[in-house]
Amino acid sequence: MAIAGDMAVTKERFFALVNYVFLLLVMFVIAAILTAAMSLQYLNGELPCPLCLLERVAMLGVCFGIMLNFRRGFSYQNTGFSLLFAIFLLVVSVRQTLLDIYPRPGHAYIGSAVFGIHMPVWSVIIALSLLISFAIKLAVLGGDEYLRSAEVTEFPAVKKTADILSVCVIAICVINLVSVVLQCGLGECHTFGYKLLQ
Amino acid sequence: MMVAVLATMSLALICGYIGRRWLAVTLFAASLFLSVGLFLYEIYSPEYGFRMPWIQTGTGQRLA
Repeated sequence: MAIAGDMAVTKERFFALVNYVFLLLVMFVIAAILTAAMSLQYLNGELPCPLCLLERVAMLGVCFGIMLNFRRGFSYQNTGFSLLFAIFLLVVSVRQTLLDIYPRPGHAYIGSAVFGIHMPVWSVIIALSLLISFAIKLAVLGGDEYLRSAEVTEFPAVKKTADILSVCVIAICVINLVSVVLQCGLGECHTFGYKLLQ
Repeated sequence: MMVAVLATMSLALICGYIGRRWLAVTLFAASLFLSVGLFLYEIYSPEYGFRMPWIQTGTGQRLA
């Protein structure tokens, strides 16, 4: 009886660990995507358009919900915060893709293509991947109490990695803020150049 | 406007990191509302409104 009880606890702990590792992976992938986008901006001089910037904000919003799970314990409310911005990312990226899908004067996908796909289309893929991965996670792990009862501090390596990644995400957001101030000032954003540096 | 969106998101992330949950959630909600407002502003065209006539593919329909 005691052995069966121990096995149940071990299984629940394992699922809690899978949950935290999943969240960590999502945050890592988003941080990598944003870093790649910023590299293209600063190294190739490809200034982001307003909708591209909103897509970056949406990805940071997804990270916000995940980060709260690591700071204050797992909660489905935090998952809801992430899903809100994942849906927003999908809406913005689909609208941007449709905006430039038909060649017209003054309308074309800006920036370089990565593996033949431009950023708005990548954003659609990213948003759908986020929604599908959260759906699969909910289907597999469910909404059981044990995910909430297991604190992230029980897994020190995950906690330490999450802390480092959280600081990276905050740094990415602040760098984007400074960049937007230089590019747009307090007005509308354009891709002609950095307004405050001209 | 974009500066406000990113500023509120930055503050939300920082507040979330230091453990001020309700302040973080409030700033997060403000960032979401500002983002939606800015998105609607950006996609609105005085000529077409929110429509996208260039992707209407019906037979005989004209672009304008």
